[in-house]
Amino acid sequence: MGRQVAIASAGFSEHASKRSDVNMAELVSEAVEDCLKNAPGVEFDDIDAFVNGNMPAFEGSNLPELWMTDWMGARNKPLLRVTTGGTTGGTVAIAGYYTVAAGLPKVDTVLAIAFEQQSQGDTSVGLGSVAYGEISVLNTMGIPYDQLSRLLSAGAAIGVAAYQATNYMRKTHITEEDLARVVVQNRRNAAKTWWTHLKMPDLTIEEVLDTPYISYPLRYGMVCPASDGACAMLFTTEEKAKGMCDIPVYVNGVASVANETAVLGYDGSGSGQIDPSDQLGAMKSSELAYYQAGISFPRKEIDYAEVYSPFPNQELMWVEKLGLFEETTAPKMYETGVTSLKGELPINCSGGVNATNAIGASAMERPAEAALQIMGKADNQVPKTVHTSIGHGWGGSLNLCTLMVMSDEPQRKWR
Amino acid sequence: MPGNWYLASYNYKFNISHNSHFLKKLKDKKVVGNQCSGCNRVFFPPRLVCGKCLVKPDQWVDLRETGKVATFAIVYLKDSETGEIQEKPTVLVHQDGSDTAIITQLNPEVDFKDTYVGMPVKIHWAENRTGGLMDIEYYDVLEDDAEDMNSTKD
Repeated sequence: MGRQVAIASAGFSEHASKRSDVNMAELVSEAVEDCLKNAPGVEFDDIDAFVNGNMPAFEGSNLPELWMTDWMGARNKPLLRVTTGGTTGGTVAIAGYYTVAAGLPKVDTVLAIAFEQQSQGDTSVGLGSVAYGEISVLNTMGIPYDQLSRLLSAGAAIGVAAYQATNYMRKTHITEEDLARVVVQNRRNAAKTWWTHLKMPDLTIEEVLDTPYISYPLRYGMVCPASDGACAMLFTTEEKAKGMCDIPVYVNGVASVANETAVLGYDGSGSGQIDPSDQLGAMKSSELAYYQAGISFPRKEIDYAEVYSPFPNQELMWVEKLGLFEETTAPKMYETGVTSLKGELPINCSGGVNATNAIGASAMERPAEAALQIMGKADNQVPKTVHTSIGHGWGGSLNLCTLMVMSDEPQRKWR
Repeated sequence: MPGNWYLASYNYKFNISHNSHFLKKLKDKKVVGNQCSGCNRVFFPPRLVCGKCLVKPDQWVDLRETGKVATFAIVYLKDSETGEIQEKPTVLVHQDGSDTAIITQLNPEVDFKDTYVGMPVKIHWAENRTGGLMDIEYYDVLEDDAEDMNSTKD
């Protein structure tokens, strides 16, 4: 039936747009060191297996996990690499959970590491290589490449978000000011956390609205940065976690659900989602993970949420789709301060992906930060006691959603 | 160290035989989609396999030339010669009678500020049709006579 899994520690490297002072291996090593610093009793010998991953092709080097084993401390130990594009971090965390939950002999403690050093490579080349298989079928069907590039300049990550934004804005009748308010909250929160990238303590809504459009309705000031950084999480069994840290965080539910391809569809056959802001994958994954965790009323039972929101409209969309707020009410919650640090349901107090986006690591930083909030070790700690929190990830043209539900007490109902 | 991957040198092979009927009809200014007999969804452009039912859609359905804007984004492109920034809407159009949305473009004369979700559009056929997706040159905007337009158009 699987074991109860606990998170003993989590750590980050410092994030910046160019971490040229370190190479990829040293960046990973920074996060591992910080993770072990948070759990003083743990040595490298105590770690039995490793899971890692990053977004392939974004930093332009192949199989990085093979030549950085020593920097992770993974020499002569089982090592697994998982990549699922934008959700890599979330999937790596879930793979770490699975490895412990499986209950294999001699595998009790697993270190999960997600990293990205985007400044070393060319993100658009990486994205091109990912999307090429999808777009070249359109070329076969008679669209020349120069036309394709024009069509698809709205089809990259920002394009998908812009489509979601137009539909979401139509549904909820919000203005760009509401989007900017989310950005301001995130960037101000980021200024209070040591490892984040865009620290803007004095940002105002007017400043965000003063920047040019990248793709209507998203402006330059609303878009996530491209960061270098790494994140590490230590998964272990319930018994061992008690010896490693003061407040172990128990993982009570995980889910990763993929929806239909976003814009192009299978073989260029069009999108099955007529409404891009209707995210079935997020609803299905939350349904599953909440069921596993025994959560019936997510709005009441969840105290803290970290959602994957490179763009502000996505943050509003996810908190609704994950069942934290009623449909179309999220903008109001940001306006009234329910989601702020001292509010009833604080969201993204680390600044979220909107302030720090090291793509491979981003989706893992969400459950990592949510776990630290339960432990009480987060930099921008919410004043109220956090019992249950969630970490969400989204990515890829397949609309893959990952979700991890954590709590300060183990869940034994379904075991 | 600057590097480059020559993506155009990749040689992907696709089975688009299920599209040949659809592409042939496009040449004659006809729009068809294929329908899954399991879930009755209509795919435009056609799909080889229905992802929900895992069966081959085997029925051809005639569709209208009209559709609705499912969603849109506005692209800001710099003209390489003049350096002028052009604003153009890129849209996903939900063709009437189908269950999927296709990425396409609007009439270049349409002011991007007038685009909205749910805007009725109609296919503008290309002059020289070759039996490819570019036979649908772009979508023309139709008059919207919906009564709730004023209350929902933002």
